[in-house]
Amino acid sequence: MAKSLNPIFSVSDFIAVVNQTFEYAYPTVEIEGEVASFKVNQSKFIFFDIKDKTGSIGCFMTVWQLRVPIEDGMKVIVSAVPKLTQWGKFSLTVKSVRPSGEGALKKSFELLKTKLGAEGLFAVERKRQLPTIPQHIAVISSTQAAGYADFIKILNDRWGGIKVDIAHVQVQGVSAPDQMIKAIDYFNQLEKLPEVVVIIRGGGSADDLAAFNDELLVRAIAASRIPTLLGVGHETDESLSDLVADVRAATPSNAAQILVPDKEEVVRAVNSQISSLLPRITQIVDQQRQAIRLMLNSAVDSIERTIDERLRKISSMKSLLVQLDPETVLARGYALIRGSVKVGSLIQIETNKDIIKAEVKNVTKK
Amino acid sequence: MSLKNKSIQEKTADLTKLVEWFDSEEFTLETALDKFKQAEELAAEIETDLMSLKNEIKVVKQKFDKEA
Repeated sequence: MAKSLNPIFSVSDFIAVVNQTFEYAYPTVEIEGEVASFKVNQSKFIFFDIKDKTGSIGCFMTVWQLRVPIEDGMKVIVSAVPKLTQWGKFSLTVKSVRPSGEGALKKSFELLKTKLGAEGLFAVERKRQLPTIPQHIAVISSTQAAGYADFIKILNDRWGGIKVDIAHVQVQGVSAPDQMIKAIDYFNQLEKLPEVVVIIRGGGSADDLAAFNDELLVRAIAASRIPTLLGVGHETDESLSDLVADVRAATPSNAAQILVPDKEEVVRAVNSQISSLLPRITQIVDQQRQAIRLMLNSAVDSIERTIDERLRKISSMKSLLVQLDPETVLARGYALIRGSVKVGSLIQIETNKDIIKAEVKNVTKK
Repeated sequence: MSLKNKSIQEKTADLTKLVEWFDSEEFTLETALDKFKQAEELAAEIETDLMSLKNEIKVVKQKFDKEA
């Protein structure tokens, strides 16, 4: 009997060779399918099958690797390492799972929203105010993203003198959540903390923005010691990161508008304040001038009244003097008699027109 | 702190105080002109600061794409 040219393996060696072949040919595979038989063992290990109409593969992963909630029937994409176990069973060791398609993304979003909402992560009481005008900010974004350029342009147009530290990270894709988490941790561990952390990304599809619904990222934003401002996507996009951030901006440009005032507006307001001062001074000068005029008028009135009063008194005294003048009395027909009132004595009688000498003939007591 | 070293916020606060003085009971015509000149200078300085200050933008060296 001819000797076979095929190598003879031990079982363990063969399993190792198969796994090496897998590792060489498919170091990591991404497989899309529907979740079935999902279960968690000992709160640590997750087992489920990923299947389509005709095939099914067993999957294994740890609880901490599962970043988004999944359940049976949900369409997902798993990123996994194919492996033949020592019992000869083929399975996928899953590194990450992400929902696939609008329905699955929405379902996963709702499940996680309910879970984190129940923990109070989105509560209004947790929200912190941003500084009025920050002097040191941290920005987490991709420096190549359009949203980042918009944010920086608006920021520079509106205000100056701010120290802006940028953490360049991916804001889309499987590794985006971890990079953003690391950036949040980095800024939170600085000796001198920035006053606000701004997370920026432009618009995109639901799948593009899925990173912002990552549970660990949402928790990292919630745990940040530094107040957070999120400017991701468009106004209509709502992510769990939006809900957990202290302040949510509708767009990256809006984030810059929220963060700092517009210097042009500030200059206008300052100049308006100054312009309002001169009329105020003029008004007070006018008021004081009017008060002085009133006082002067009052003084003049008082002097005039006193003079009139004095003139009236003089006039009255003058008419009295006229009445007392003997010539006036004589003019009225009276006579002035001078001399001694004794019988036989000579007296002088003065009338208005004559001076008469007469002798006293008789004196009778009244 | 000298006026030169003050931040825009501090200068704006100073200007607000000056403007408020014009409506306060401390207002006197004798000092109003001096205060007005001070306010005008401060406003001009704020405008110059605002228009000349640039943001200091720096990408941090730390890499965030490495595995922990």
